[in-house]
This record gives sequence, structure tokens and C-alpha cells, in this order.
Amino acid sequence: MAETTDMIEVTINKDVLVIGCGAQGLESAEAVAAKGYKVVLVDDGDVPAPASADIEVMANTTVESLAGMTGDFRTCLANGSGRSDRTFGAIVVAPKYGLAPLNEAYGLALDDKVVSMTQMEALLGDAAFKKTLGQGEGKTIAFVSGFGQEGDPAATSRVLEAALTVQKLGNARAYIYANNVKVGARGLERLFTLGRNEGVVCFKPLEKPAIEQGDTLKIVINDPVVREDVALEPDYIVVEEEVVVGRANLDLAETLRIDTDLDGFIPSNNVHRFPANSNREGIFVASTLEDAPNVALRVADLLASGVKSVAANAAVVDETKCTICLTCYRCCPHGAIFWENGIAAISPVACQGCGICASECPMDAIQIGDFTDDALKADIEGAVASVSGTPSIVAFCCQNSALEAGEAAKAFDTELPQGFRMIQVPCAGKVDVEFIMKAFVEGADGVMVAACHEGNCKAERGSTFAKWRVEEIRKRLETIGLSKDRLIFTTIASNMAEEFSMKVRMFAEKL
Amino acid sequence: MKSQSGKVMVVGGGIAGLTAAWELARQNVSVELVEKSCFLGGYSIGYTCKATDTCQQCGACSVEKMLKNVVGEPLINVHLRTEIGSLDRSDGFKISLKKNCEDMAEALVLKGFSRHNAPLYVRGKGVTEAAPEGAVDIEKMGSEGDINVDAVIVATGFTPFDAEIKGTYGYGKWENVITGLEFENIVRENAGIVRPSDGKRPEKVAFIQCVGSRDERLGNLWCSEVCCPYAMRMAGTIKHDNPDAEVSIFYIDVQNTGKEFPVFYEKIRENVRFVRTIPVDIYPTENDGLKLRHMAEDEGSPSFEEFDMVVLSVGLMPGADSKIVSETFDIPLTVDGFLDDSVDSGVFVAGTAAGPGTIAGSMAGAGKIAFDAVKYLGGAK
Ligand SMILES: Cc1cc2nc3c(=O)[nH]c(=O)nc-3n(C[C@H](O)[C@H](O)[C@H](O)COP(=O)(O)OP(=O)(O)OC[C@H]3O[C@@H](n4cnc5c(N)ncnc54)[C@H](O)[C@@H]3O)c2cc1C
Ligand code: SF4
Ligand code: SF4
Ligand code: SF4
Ligand code: SF4
Repeated sequence: MAETTDMIEVTINKDVLVIGCGAQGLESAEAVAAKGYKVVLVDDGDVPAPASADIEVMANTTVESLAGMTGDFRTCLANGSGRSDRTFGAIVVAPKYGLAPLNEAYGLALDDKVVSMTQMEALLGDAAFKKTLGQGEGKTIAFVSGFGQEGDPAATSRVLEAALTVQKLGNARAYIYANNVKVGARGLERLFTLGRNEGVVCFKPLEKPAIEQGDTLKIVINDPVVREDVALEPDYIVVEEEVVVGRANLDLAETLRIDTDLDGFIPSNNVHRFPANSNREGIFVASTLEDAPNVALRVADLLASGVKSVAANAAVVDETKCTICLTCYRCCPHGAIFWENGIAAISPVACQGCGICASECPMDAIQIGDFTDDALKADIEGAVASVSGTPSIVAFCCQNSALEAGEAAKAFDTELPQGFRMIQVPCAGKVDVEFIMKAFVEGADGVMVAACHEGNCKAERGSTFAKWRVEEIRKRLETIGLSKDRLIFTTIASNMAEEFSMKVRMFAEKL
Repeated sequence: MKSQSGKVMVVGGGIAGLTAAWELARQNVSVELVEKSCFLGGYSIGYTCKATDTCQQCGACSVEKMLKNVVGEPLINVHLRTEIGSLDRSDGFKISLKKNCEDMAEALVLKGFSRHNAPLYVRGKGVTEAAPEGAVDIEKMGSEGDINVDAVIVATGFTPFDAEIKGTYGYGKWENVITGLEFENIVRENAGIVRPSDGKRPEKVAFIQCVGSRDERLGNLWCSEVCCPYAMRMAGTIKHDNPDAEVSIFYIDVQNTGKEFPVFYEKIRENVRFVRTIPVDIYPTENDGLKLRHMAEDEGSPSFEEFDMVVLSVGLMPGADSKIVSETFDIPLTVDGFLDDSVDSGVFVAGTAAGPGTIAGSMAGAGKIAFDAVKYLGGAK
């Protein structure tokens, strides 16, 4: 690895855009403002007045487009009164998700007796309604949850609170039909117990309850404890609600070029995004109230006093080689590539130095700061040359995972083959076909590409790119008369020293 | 950003304390990080990776990453094997440190959990044989003296439930009844799952959930939040390692793992049997096997079933020092015996010291606390 630490100072815009004014959006705006930055808070609906006067609010406003880069994001904000172009150093996304009742999952239609959780909460906020519940023999309310979806502690908490409110009226009764009771959040087990002590009845049938919706309502379950059918004719049935992502959030993610998880929630399911990052530097995500101060910390880290010192050569495009094929733009997992004067340009602030672009560029037009092609080739030569007398194994190790595990394996003196050498790469996605072949040409007996487990790659797809390349080369090795087993791809986490050496030993034995 | 100065003491070097310290340093606040044991990282620095074909987002490797950040951060000054002696609040916080002499690791060589632990090895009292290179004598570790700071973050963590209290499970008597915590360490040290009695791969494994948590008789009226996720992830790794293995999880209610839970749960249910009941007791059988008695809901009468190994999913109890810490720093205890994190007098509580939580949750919470602490410093000036 060559030592190159040319630093440049980049001016960063100190304004911050916060999108979404739910509780966590408001909190984020306040937290960022408290760090001394100017905040613009937009929402596609109404915006309540924030406490801090430093926050500019724009209601009924959407982000129509995003250009520019981290530190200099150029947005077009659109609302009824027109469009305005605004520039921001950082963006905070505080998505507001919707709720949809799952009555259909129970074969129910919503009416004045079958209501959603939100409706029941509103009703319970109404003193007149509450009075009717306690009148006469008192009304019976049944809550059904966990059969239309798995649910979560937030949903459980709402059911428990509402059931307790009903039960406490004295003359009304609350029944809960639940699958898994999601008590995995502070205070919920206690709340659940309190409810039961107050007389709330909780059934946990193994199957979804059968419900008849006619002139009267009827719920029948087979009670797993007494092993009998138990029927109830409640006055109200309250159906659970699911959280829905909604078109607006998906569109926003697309406009901002940030990843979502499988369910469409921002950001992707990856520990490297934790707690408040997206895949793009400078775009942060506040999903919960607790994320808000974390977002403010990350914003302050990035914007600092408006000038940032960054490596000048994190990734550099050679304009004489670039043929504007767009490959790098498409494959950069961190959205760090843009177009300038007709060629690809890389933002030194946004670039994470993973090197995927460099490996994918068909023109070899991109070089990565500390990991230039020349430097890596020199590393390969050095590695193979340093082994004599024993089989040599060259392992390209991702610095986020395998390199850590490998260094730990050495530090703790685990058993590693004598001829084992590691080559540090910024991400397995930087391991080119050329480097692997070079290792064989230099005389390596075995080559290993050691990456993060899928889903744990900081560059999201770097590990997958590496896997594909290895598969391709294994096929090619056969055609040039080498055994394909001399090359393997493996995945490992940074904390797994013993597993790392076991994997290396197993590879060495097979060679 | 306004430049910030000041000094904060962080007590406890688990993932919560590490994160708090690092976030403070990022904001230019210097940190005195006080850790009672000989190694930074808390419980989670010893956990195993629970990836199958794909990462299961358990967060264990995030602890490794955070520890690396912290040891490379010049603004953080680490005191290992050190405890809080006394506190004088007449002018800011004057805190006396003392060596933790409770555990002298008699005749033991302690090994670190990460290569970022420094030292990597600690030579306990009275060790005569040669210890690995770089080992430090336990007696030489620890800080003493007074330190003045402007605020304190308490991150003294949790205590795993002592499984021997649930006597009918025979923990401590039958070798192949282990806790989730032991599972974590065994798998990491052996690069795979082996059972204690013979070092063989178990073919039939049971997990028992809620051991110590959600237990009215013990007065533990909380869900520990992490034991369903870790048990399911561990069950997944067993099946991944050995597709022929039979794994059962005995449970009350399945709690979520986090993002993408519906997909995760559906997949795990294809491979793992879920039985909604908590077993009554465990007896040893031949060949170090274990016979488990339970009342499965759909069966009515008790059933007996044999397993090669039983994992007790122990929950998160209040930290061993929560009472002392509560007295020293004047932090009220919650009904459950954890530290109340709503205090606001220059003393803050982060991580599982305040109640059960995951690694990810402890990190987010610690970030928030670091933010609050800096705000407090700004106001105090
Ligand atoms: C078996 C098991 C498996 C788990 N698996 C997972 C998992 O896969 N994923 C996940 O997210 N979570 C998991 N967890 C939860 C995880 O362990 C916690 O979320 C995490 O360890 C909390 O970190 P912490 O810093 O709050 O506490 P701790 O890890 O307890 O750290 C506290 C630190 O403070 C020190 N300390 C204590 N008292 C003092 C004192 N008086 N003075 C100075 N220092 C002191 C301790 O020595 C320790 O280093 C698991 C828990 C268990 C029991
Ligand atoms: S991949 Fe290479 S050739 Fe294609 S646009 Fe990017 S730098 Fe230019
Ligand atoms: S090195 Fe990685 S982050 Fe940087 S521009 Fe290339 S692909 Fe994007
Ligand atoms: S399973 Fe856990 S330790 Fe393994 S890579 Fe994923 S987050 Fe890291
Ligand atoms: S997480 Fe699961 S095992 Fe742990 S206490 Fe909660 S319900 Fe029980």
C-alpha cells in the first residue's frame, strides 16, 4: 500500500435540509440547529412551528430533484407557490410512514363496530364515547393483533394502552387476541402484566381467530390452554394496523439515490448504516426520536466549520481515458460520482474509497488513492516473493472485515500456514481480475479473496462484485490448465480470528 | 460548529461507553474512560458472528469497529481495571479512582477478546509459568488518584441472568446445558458449534427462551429484548453449519430482530421448530444427553424429548454495580433495578445500565447521551 496523503480543503455549505416533520424530523431539525447550522425543514403536508427561530419551514413542499454532491447538494424544492433552487451541505431524511388497517386479513369490513386501532384511540379520547362503554351491562371490546402481520412493540404498546383504558372504565371489558405479544421494548411486559391484573383477558390462539361479522360480532378460537372452543360476542372489534412505506417515501429515496431495505424502509438493512447513515455521505436518516441527536452529530462531523480537509486522491478519473460509458456512475454504491465538463468526476467528500468504480471501469480510467493499480501490483509481487520453500497463499483481504480478522488471527498466534500473505484492499470490490491473475503469474499456489458477508459490505455490493469475479476466473482457470480450486472466495466478519485461520488452513490443505 | 472544550468521564467500556466516548471525542471533548475489567468492550466484544450465507445484522462486528475507533482516538484516555472511589461535587466533579482488586485472576492468564485490546494478555496473581509475549501483570494495571471532570456518563452495563437460579434446568450440573453467553464464546473460540462434554457437533439442540426474564415469580417484569434475536440467529447458524441438525426453540412470544424481520422470521421457521411452551425441567440421559420435560400447548400431557445440548436464553439483569453506582452518583433506580436514565444534572446513563437493549440500541442511545452531555457542557460554561 503506497503512502499518499495529499489533502485538500473543500468548502462545504453549512445549510441543512430536513425532510419530514414527524416527531423525529422536528427533533432532528432542532438538534441540528442547536449545533449552529441553518436548517430548512420541509414537509409535503403541514409543518408545525418549531421551537427554534433558526429553522425555516416550508409546508406542502416536496424535493423535486437533487443534483450536486455532499457539501454542495443542489435541490429543487417545489410547492404551490412555485419552485426554488436551494443548496445544502447535508440532508436529513425523517420519513413519515403511514398506517393501514388489516381488517381484510381477518375477513372483516370496517364499520361502526369494527374499527381500526387509530379509530379506537380517537374514540377513547372522547369522553362521551367512553361513557357509553360503561353504561348498562358495559360493553366488550376485542383487539385482534399479530395475525395479519407479525407486528412490533409500537403496535403492541397501543393495544395494551387502549385495553387498559377500557378495562379501567370499570364496567367495560377488554379482550386481546394476540399471536406473539411484542413486549420487546421498555416497560411493555410490566404494562402487559398490569393489564391482566386489571382484568384484561389475553387469548393466544395458535390459529387466526374465526370472526363472524353479521348483526352481531362473534369471535371463535380454540383456546390452547383449556383446549376448547371459546366464543365471544364483542360490541366492538379493533383491528391492528400495519406500517406502510408509501409512494412518497419510495420516490424520495429514488430522488436522493439512497437505498431502502427489502420492505422499502430507509436505509438498507446493514450494520454499517447504523445508527443514522444512508449509503450516501451527507444524507442522514432519522427513523426514531433517538436518531435525531445522532443525525446532528453526523451533520456536525461533516459540515464542521464549513471547510473539510479530505484526501485529494480518494478516487481520481483520468480524463484522457474516460469514454463516458456511465459504468462507474451506475455502480458507485455511495453515489459519489457526477458529471463535470462531460466526463465522470468523483467527489472527494462523498467518496468512501471502496474502489468498485476502478475495478468496473472498462477503460481502467480510475485510480484509488492508497490503492493504485501499481501499488497493489507491487504488493502482490512483494507478497509472493517473500515466501520460499512452502506453498504460497495470497489473500486479498477487505480492510473492513477479513483484514481485521486476519490481523487478529496473527496477533493471537492462531495457527496459520507459513506461506500465507495478506494484501489489504479497501473493499473486496477493488479486487480486479487482473490482480488475481497477477498473483498466479507471480507464482502464488493459491489465491483467496476474503470479503464481508453479503449484507455486511459497507459498500453494499462490493462483496458481491468480488464473488462474481472469482466465479468467472475459476471458470477461466480450467481453460488455461490450472485447477479452479487454487482460487476461492470466502466471507468473514472482523471479529472472527479463529474462523479466519480455520478457513485459511482448510484452503491450504486442499492445495 | 462551535468549538467545544471540557472533559467528561465515561464509566464502563462496553459498547455503550465506547460509543459515548468516541462521540464525545468527535466533538472535541476529552474523555476519561474508566473500565473495571482488564479489557475494553464489555460483553459484546466476545460475541460470535451469526452470519449464515448472509449477514444476520447481529451487530457483534460493530463492537470491534467501535473499539478500533476508540483506541485510535487521542482525546480518549483509558483506565483499565479501575473503579470509582468517591465523588466530590463541590466544584464540578472531582472523582477519585482506585484499582479494582476484587478479582486478581489468581493463577490465570487472561486473554483479550480483540486485537485492539491492549494489553492482549494479562498475567493473573501467582502465575508462574510463562505467559504469552506482551502479557502485563494484573497488579501493574489500574489507575489511582483524583480527576476533575465536567460531566459523567455512566455505562456500566448489565449482568446476564444467573441460570443456576432456575434450578430445574440443571445448569452447572449437566455439562451440556449452557447459557447463550457461553454459546457466543464457544462458537467464536472453536470456529463452530461444539458441545462442552465431548467437543462434538450437537445434532439436536433446544433453546429455552425467557430464562430469568418475563418471570413474575422472580419479580423480573421485563422482556430482555435481545434473547429472542440471539437465539434465532444462533439457531440459524447451527442449521447453516449442519443442515441435518434439529433445532427447537421453546418460547412464550417471539420478539423481533429488527429491520426486515418478517423475511427473517419466515426463513428461520422453515428450518427451526418453534414450540410455544416453557419447559419444566431437564434430566441427564445416557451419552451426556438431556431429557427435557414440557407441556406443549397442542398436546395436553407432558412430553419428554431428548437433546444433545440445551441453550438457556438468559436475559439482561441490572448491572452488578448498579446499586453502588446509584449511590455514588445519586442516580435513582427504576422499579426493575436499572439506573434511571432521565437524570439531568451532569450525570447521564447510557446503554443497558438503564435497561435491556441491543448493541445497535446501545449505540444509538450512547450517541444521544453524548449529544446531551455536550449540550450540558455548553450550558454549564
Ligand atoms: C447471551 C447474549 C447474547 C447477546 N447477543 C446479542 C447480539 O447478537 N446482538 C445484540 O445487539 N445484542 C446482543 N446482546 C446484548 C448485548 O450484550 C448488549 O446490548 C450490550 O453488551 C450492551 O452494552 P453495554 O455497554 O450497555 O453493557 P456491557 O456490555 O455490560 O458493558 C459494560 C461495561 O462496563 C464495565 N463496568 C461495569 N461496572 C463498572 C464499574 N462500576 N466501573 C467501571 N466499569 C464498569 C463492565 O466491565 C463492562 O465492560 C446479547 C446479550 C446476551 C446476554
Ligand atoms: S467507468 Fe470509466 S470510462 Fe466509464 S464513465 Fe466511469 S471513468 Fe469513464
Ligand atoms: S471508490 Fe467507491 S465510493 Fe469512491 S467513487 Fe468509486 S465506487 Fe464510489
Ligand atoms: S452476522 Fe453479526 S458479526 Fe456477522 S457480519 Fe453480520 S453483523 Fe457482523
Ligand atoms: S427477548 Fe424473547 S426470550 Fe428474551 S425475554 Fe423477551 S420474549 Fe423472552
